[in-house]
Amino acid sequence: MRLIEPDGGEVTLCGVGLLGCGGEQLRAARRQAAMVFQQVLVVRRRTALENVAFGALGELPLRRSLSTRLFPAEIRARALDSLERVGLADLAAQRASTLSGGQAQRVAVARALCQRARVVLADEPVASLDPRAAESVLSLLADVAHNENLGVLVVLHQPELARRFADRLVGFLDGGISFDRAPTDVTDDEIETLYRNDDDER
Amino acid sequence: MTSAELARRAPGSDRTSRLHGVRWLVAAAAIVALYVHAWRDTHVSPGEFVSSFPNLVRLVGEMFPPDWSVLHASVWAGVLTFDTALLGTTAAFVVALLLTPLAARNISPNRALYELSRAVIGFARTIPLWVSGLLFLVVVGPTPFAGVLALGVETIGVLPKLYAETVEEMDMGPVDALRVSGARRAQVFIHGVLPSVAPTFVGLVIYRMDSNVRSALILSAFGAGGIGFLLFNSIELFQWAQVSTELIVVFVLVLAVERVSILVRSRIT
Repeated sequence: MRLIEPDGGEVTLCGVGLLGCGGEQLRAARRQAAMVFQQVLVVRRRTALENVAFGALGELPLRRSLSTRLFPAEIRARALDSLERVGLADLAAQRASTLSGGQAQRVAVARALCQRARVVLADEPVASLDPRAAESVLSLLADVAHNENLGVLVVLHQPELARRFADRLVGFLDGGISFDRAPTDVTDDEIETLYRNDDDER
Repeated sequence: MTSAELARRAPGSDRTSRLHGVRWLVAAAAIVALYVHAWRDTHVSPGEFVSSFPNLVRLVGEMFPPDWSVLHASVWAGVLTFDTALLGTTAAFVVALLLTPLAARNISPNRALYELSRAVIGFARTIPLWVSGLLFLVVVGPTPFAGVLALGVETIGVLPKLYAETVEEMDMGPVDALRVSGARRAQVFIHGVLPSVAPTFVGLVIYRMDSNVRSALILSAFGAGGIGFLLFNSIELFQWAQVSTELIVVFVLVLAVERVSILVRSRIT
């Protein structure tokens, strides 16, 4: 997504090479993928609902987005829907700084939904959450993948969680793919191998 | 290495401590010389101060009772000084909001705009307040508007720099999250950057307002209108009873602005 520039190779998103484009092209490409991050990245001094609506900023002209009050009604409705989808509609008016880590990460997922992207990329979305919150965020992501016609790609360091929630497991080892199949077809030994040499490598 | 060599190199050995002592002496002598020069340069003379003490007493005596006939004019001149500071600060605040997205290294669109905006800020800071005050008096004529412009320039030299530094130190996580969703630069600034830095921005501009009221006092003595001009005239005419009235107005004005500034800054969440 060009947050960090790669040393080499190619990054393709929905058929568009990200490295060659800039400005408006890059913006358009970025709108195709919504991201959920390792740290819970919400704007703390804005409400949950406003944070969700920020997912749609990319499609708004500047004059309708100078203030959250100028957001079109359609976007507000969509943001509320998204927030409802993650089960937090009753916290819509609350400042993000008052939410728990798990709630805030669900707001981040709602923001991703509000973006109406084609894929959701989640980079260790539960790394900073307690087990129960992790559970709720992952089942939410799985649910979204199954019911919203969205591709969801999640990077995880917890094989047992990956096994439970994913439809397809891809193991990375030393910069290459070591397996790529349904969770039921992946043996414990294969997962073991990924973490044997270096705990920090995927 | 023999033990004798080691001893010579050890920090407590004779040679190093002697060297240390010499350095110390040179530094001390330099500092003393600095003070002696400054003392002579400025004609500091405690004897003169003591012997002229009766003058001071006479002066203060002539200030009382204050001449209340100039109170009305003084109050309005004080308000004018406040107005000058208010408009100058507000103008600089608007410019600061426009310059900050360019002058903060972590969100600046490119190197050229970064350098350009920093140059504008740096240039505004190098002009002494009274110099730009006199220049604007020549340009726009002898009205308080010259003071507004001079204060605006002065503040543009400071406020955007402080704002940019605030942005450079903020947590970029939420900002990146908006950027990567395809939001425009301006949208990212308004919704990702501003909410996080708003309390600091407001605190800084109010602090500047506070200090700009004091700057406007000095500026008004140069003829840009306001209470400083009245004070300057009264002092030149030795009207000490008027001076005391005007000083009371200044005192109240500065204290009031400072109190409000502290109050507002403590309420920002």
